[in-house]
Amino acid sequence: MIEKNVYLDNAAATRMDERVLEAMTPYFFETYPVATSDFGYSLGIEAREALEYARDEIAHYIGASGEEFIFTSGSTESSNLAVKGVALALGEKKGRHIIVSAIDDFPVIHSAGSRALEKQGFSVTYLDVDHEGLVNLDRLRDSITDKTILVSIQHANQEIGTIQDIETIGRICSKKGVLFHTDATHTFTRVPLDFKKVKVDLITVSPHTIHGPKGIGGLFIRKETPITKWMDGGFQEFNLRAGLENIPGASGFAKAVELVTPEENERIKVMRDHLIDRVSAEVPDTTLNGHRSKRTPQNANITFHFVEGESITLHLDIRGFSVSTGSACFSRSLEASHVILGVGGDHERAHGSIRFSFGRYNTMEEVDRVVDTIAEVVGELRKISPLAHNKEAQK
Amino acid sequence: MADIKVDVRGETCPVPLVETRKALRKASPGDTVEVVGTHPASKKEIPMALKALGLKLEDIQEEEDVWKIRIGV
Repeated sequence: MIEKNVYLDNAAATRMDERVLEAMTPYFFETYPVATSDFGYSLGIEAREALEYARDEIAHYIGASGEEFIFTSGSTESSNLAVKGVALALGEKKGRHIIVSAIDDFPVIHSAGSRALEKQGFSVTYLDVDHEGLVNLDRLRDSITDKTILVSIQHANQEIGTIQDIETIGRICSKKGVLFHTDATHTFTRVPLDFKKVKVDLITVSPHTIHGPKGIGGLFIRKETPITKWMDGGFQEFNLRAGLENIPGASGFAKAVELVTPEENERIKVMRDHLIDRVSAEVPDTTLNGHRSKRTPQNANITFHFVEGESITLHLDIRGFSVSTGSACFSRSLEASHVILGVGGDHERAHGSIRFSFGRYNTMEEVDRVVDTIAEVVGELRKISPLAHNKEAQK
Repeated sequence: MADIKVDVRGETCPVPLVETRKALRKASPGDTVEVVGTHPASKKEIPMALKALGLKLEDIQEEEDVWKIRIGV
């Protein structure tokens, strides 16, 4: 059906780099035991050394120490641990109030919200964002009370790519004595972050967005941050995360981090801007979702008015292009995106939004091809769209 | 050769095309896929998709707001 697929959904998952697989392979077939202490056998000690090497490489990338980074099974677990772990540590001692952004990804929103902590008596403030997806910092300041234990605001949005001013947010939280967690799944290595400068206590990261393996993630935890383990079992990961260590995954994660370069990020950004510029110029009735400049280099999210995003994704798929209508979760349902609704869009705008996200293996030629194809597909769909006909009738 | 039936009466865009694509993915060369639906836009959208896929639209019929599309795989 399709000769060669053009993959433009790198915010959901990326093709793993062969060099990452090479870095992981020895830990499946040679150094495969569990990590052991110096009292164990040599192969287990080697496994532990590999784990610690990977930990240090990732931690040092943003200026943290190895003791300030733990491996998890992915971003979802990292954010769950950050939000619930702080709630467990401080809920009784300090207070039961948490602040999140209304457009954060589900691991944060659902950990804090009615499915989890709210149900246990915590109160949650959901900070609105402006039409470009930015949190109002005055509103954040005003929302912090003496009972607030955690502010969790993502570094960049999973759907529209808007980058928050986490430096200022960190300063506000630090001044008020409140812990700050940020989900950096969509920025880690793509957008600079200096752990020594930014006053952030917990950072969620994952390699699946940077051509690394799935099934592994991480959480930066600044020294002295009060956090309580919530998954019981062994004493791995500084006794914060029970479970057998994923040493191949950790090694692949470290390699993925090493392989991202500023030049690659710039190349991806050029492709993003080329797509946005061409679509804006060549396809009528479109809206760029998110901030024009404060956005991740890999993300372009555009609403094509009077057509449904799901129809666009299907027709692009038929022509060999993989894009999504929003976050990976939404692409499996037909619910309107809470992010597009959060930036003031209506259901029509939410349903007509398409996320293009770029990665290492995309080329400028592919960008031109997808723009040509989307112009054709949107034009054809508008001819049969009742929404487009209503618009014409109103003229 | 099989005759695969897809009944999407009462469903609206993009479900009829989703179900058609699902059937086409399972079909083998020589099979026929017959889609029955009611949503007017899908009656136009499915032929548009078939053209892009290079598949043969064998027949379209409509009777009392129910359309039937036959596709040769």
